[in-house]
Amino acid sequence: MASMGDTSPDVGRFARLQDQLAGYGFLAPWLIGFFVLTLGPAVASFYLSLTDYSGLNAPHWVGAENYLRIATDDERFWTAMNVTFTFVLLSVPLKLLFALGVAVALNKGLKGLSLFRAIFYLPSLVGGSVAIAVLWRQVFSGDGLLNQALNMLFGYEGPSWISNPSTSIYTLVLLAVWQFGSSMIIFLAGLRQIPKDMYEAASLDGASPARQFFKITLPLLTPVIFFNAVIITIDAFKAFTSAFIISDGTGGPIDSTLFYTLYLYQEAFTNFRFGYASALAWVLVVIIAFFTAMSFLSARYWVHYDD
Amino acid sequence: MTDATMTAAIARSEKEASERSPLTRAFIYAALVAVSFVMLYPLLWMIASSFKPDDEIFTSTSLLPHAFSADAYRRGWNGLSVGFGQMFFNSLVVCILVVIGNLISCSMAAYAFTRLRFKGRGFWFALMLGTLMMPQHAVLIPQYVLFLKLGWVNTIMPLVVPKFLAIDAFFVFLMVQFFRGIPRELDEAAVMDGCGPLRIFLKVILPLSTPVLATAAVFSFIWTWDDFFAPLIYLNDIEKYTAQLGLRTFVDATAQSDWSALFAMSTLTVLPVFILFVLFQRLLIEGIATTGMKR
Amino acid sequence: MTSLALKKVTKSFGAVDVIRGVDLDIAAGEFVVFVGPSGCGKSTLLRMIAGLEPITSGDLAVGGARMNEVAAARRGVAMVFQSYALYPHMNVYKNMSFGLETAKMPKPEIDARVRKAADILQITHLLDRKPKQLSGGQRQRVAIGRAIVRDPKIFLFDEPLSNLDAELRVQTRVEIAKLHADIGATMIYVTHDQVEAMTLADRIVVLRAGVIEQHGSPLDIYNKPVNRFVAGFIGSPKMNFLSVAVAASQDESVILNLAGKQLTMPQPVPVGQGAPLTLGVRPEHIVAEGAGGVSLGTFTVVHVERLGGQTIAYGNLDDKQTLTVALDGQRSIAAGDKLSVSIPAERCHLFGEDERRIGG
Repeated sequence: MASMGDTSPDVGRFARLQDQLAGYGFLAPWLIGFFVLTLGPAVASFYLSLTDYSGLNAPHWVGAENYLRIATDDERFWTAMNVTFTFVLLSVPLKLLFALGVAVALNKGLKGLSLFRAIFYLPSLVGGSVAIAVLWRQVFSGDGLLNQALNMLFGYEGPSWISNPSTSIYTLVLLAVWQFGSSMIIFLAGLRQIPKDMYEAASLDGASPARQFFKITLPLLTPVIFFNAVIITIDAFKAFTSAFIISDGTGGPIDSTLFYTLYLYQEAFTNFRFGYASALAWVLVVIIAFFTAMSFLSARYWVHYDD
Repeated sequence: MTDATMTAAIARSEKEASERSPLTRAFIYAALVAVSFVMLYPLLWMIASSFKPDDEIFTSTSLLPHAFSADAYRRGWNGLSVGFGQMFFNSLVVCILVVIGNLISCSMAAYAFTRLRFKGRGFWFALMLGTLMMPQHAVLIPQYVLFLKLGWVNTIMPLVVPKFLAIDAFFVFLMVQFFRGIPRELDEAAVMDGCGPLRIFLKVILPLSTPVLATAAVFSFIWTWDDFFAPLIYLNDIEKYTAQLGLRTFVDATAQSDWSALFAMSTLTVLPVFILFVLFQRLLIEGIATTGMKR
Repeated sequence: MTSLALKKVTKSFGAVDVIRGVDLDIAAGEFVVFVGPSGCGKSTLLRMIAGLEPITSGDLAVGGARMNEVAAARRGVAMVFQSYALYPHMNVYKNMSFGLETAKMPKPEIDARVRKAADILQITHLLDRKPKQLSGGQRQRVAIGRAIVRDPKIFLFDEPLSNLDAELRVQTRVEIAKLHADIGATMIYVTHDQVEAMTLADRIVVLRAGVIEQHGSPLDIYNKPVNRFVAGFIGSPKMNFLSVAVAASQDESVILNLAGKQLTMPQPVPVGQGAPLTLGVRPEHIVAEGAGGVSLGTFTVVHVERLGGQTIAYGNLDDKQTLTVALDGQRSIAAGDKLSVSIPAERCHLFGEDERRIGG
């Protein structure tokens, strides 16, 4: 019957001081990291966004000039926004759908569950690497694997998917959705937590499997769906490697794969515009924060917590 | 429900289940097999292609090389001014250091958050959770400037040192969840046995935490091995490149003319991850699953 | 063998007062049982003695020395936890030696102590095993062994039997009693089970809402409960509490109204006429169809429990007040039977409106 649950036994005033020391002692690495690598840089980057810092010379104050430029005078910014949002709005729902669908299918207690689970999870694990991006580049190029297969199966001669500005982004979306495995595993865990007797009761009441899915499974799964949605979306905003490798660092063709992170990278490390890049970074932070806040607020209406 | 309708309902659902079963099950099974096949095919093809000569890559979709040759591996291995061996070694060094750093600093932080009583604990914990959702973009540039000023650019320091400062809040969170499952009575018994916080940490908590430590270690290794962005911005000399950077350089260097060598090196960079996956599959999957559990 | 003293000890968790002033002296070698309902603070009190909870105010002294600020491991106390708290990753030997290693005791001495304790508890053959390979009763003994090796001045037991099944509970209870007889150390034992309290204690301390209601030998508490709460807490089946009213109060006796009848208690009761009192009678003291004693009127049986050695009848008196009667042996009574019941006067307890017992 302790006061909070997470505590160590505490004896006397001197020992309590010892406890404080021990606590801060163990927390020290994290605290240092937090101030030096997170809080400090966050504040600094906000400051930098108000300068014209090039990374080489001293920063000069320019006020809101960077932000103004972003809003009014930067074509590429809007392109990057467009590309990133397209990517997010396509890959997130698709990934959720596949993850949920496959999880539901696997949850029926089929033989070979662990094998399937492993197979679907593997792409998640390797998908973020350069090797896979390289592979993707080949597969979707003019004479790549996909076109070879299409030719073989349907006699269809496909274009170079990655060199075509109107299709390049979709190859990236596909790569992201290919990695639905980790979300699937989280869904599987969530499905397992739903008590079987609910389904049995529903069966006795004559509910069809489809009805059971929509009336039992889905509502009870909303916390997990919410969790997955937030995580997948944040990851989507952070995507970088695939776009970089497939477009060779350019974001091309014609900026059609210019992920926001890639644009930021170019401005900072290719064009040496640290100040401007910082402003870009903060715009993204605000957007992600807004999205997260909206999700949490909306959660009240559709996420069903039964505790 | 009357007795009659009850028995009828049971009979109906049983009949439905057995009727539904074979056909639907077969359908689902077939669909799953098809999807897995399509998903894995590119990977398998890449591995197979590393054993094919270049022209075969662009003419055949099959998983079996007509003309089997492991020459691509030799070409790829030495294809850059610095051998891939060196770059694999660099990756290994970084990964091992990162694993050590994460295990030490994250377990310390998690221990403080769950087992020690000190002012402000709740506040710092909330901040830590906040960093979980924070995008790195905001801190990227000042971090770079900081490392630049410290003279750490073009070394592995920026890749490794932050991990000794519990920068990966995900692992702190994972360990916090795990530590909360260790009964507090054990801490109390240890106190009665005369242990202070450090001894409890080393002799009671850590030994009982091998599952979460192993999970954190494997994930740390894999995610660091696959990391491209940080090495990209911090490593400039090719001798210092990690495997991922090396591969990217190789793509540029071969100007897409030696695909089998490219695939050979790609296969090699993916191999360690695959091996870890095969060995620690259960651990990885359970680790992921617990993050989504209701708290 | 050491004494322990608690003086005006209080404990608050923030605004909540859990222990509200406890004074207690425990003599060296005594076996004291803290007993009371959940939330009464008995475990908290034990943990304060152990050093796992800070004492808000008041003094704790062990062997005369003030211990409030002393670390748990240096108070000369050892604790047996409710769920044993054995280190799952260490074998039995290591579990028992861990505290001594922490104290940097020389290995040979550690070994001697561990083996001696293992011998006393008959767990020598288990020294190599890990806790998960042991049964509940065996784990219990290892937990006790861990306490014994520290050669403490005072043993603390926190509801050690509650995780065992009924049969094992009785067995272990006997073993703990024997342990006390062997070692003779001062032992403080917390339980919510009054049977454990009655059978093990030299002295029982009854707690309620952070205060000691009464302390004394088991039979003292049984025979002379100081208030209605203690009377109802000790003794199974529970004491019957009958509402009575004073009809007339005299010098040496009092006449009470109960179930439409009047009964005379040879006990002076200094309250006015009409005052409502409570008459406490233990089921096992009630006599059915007997002569003498104070008559309680007619008892209508509603339900009978036959335990073989005892027959327990539940029913009502004439005024519908419920009554439980426990009779020796096997009686041929059944639901619906009407019996006349009475009770020896000296077995009656009268409680006033303040719930305190009237008389000596």
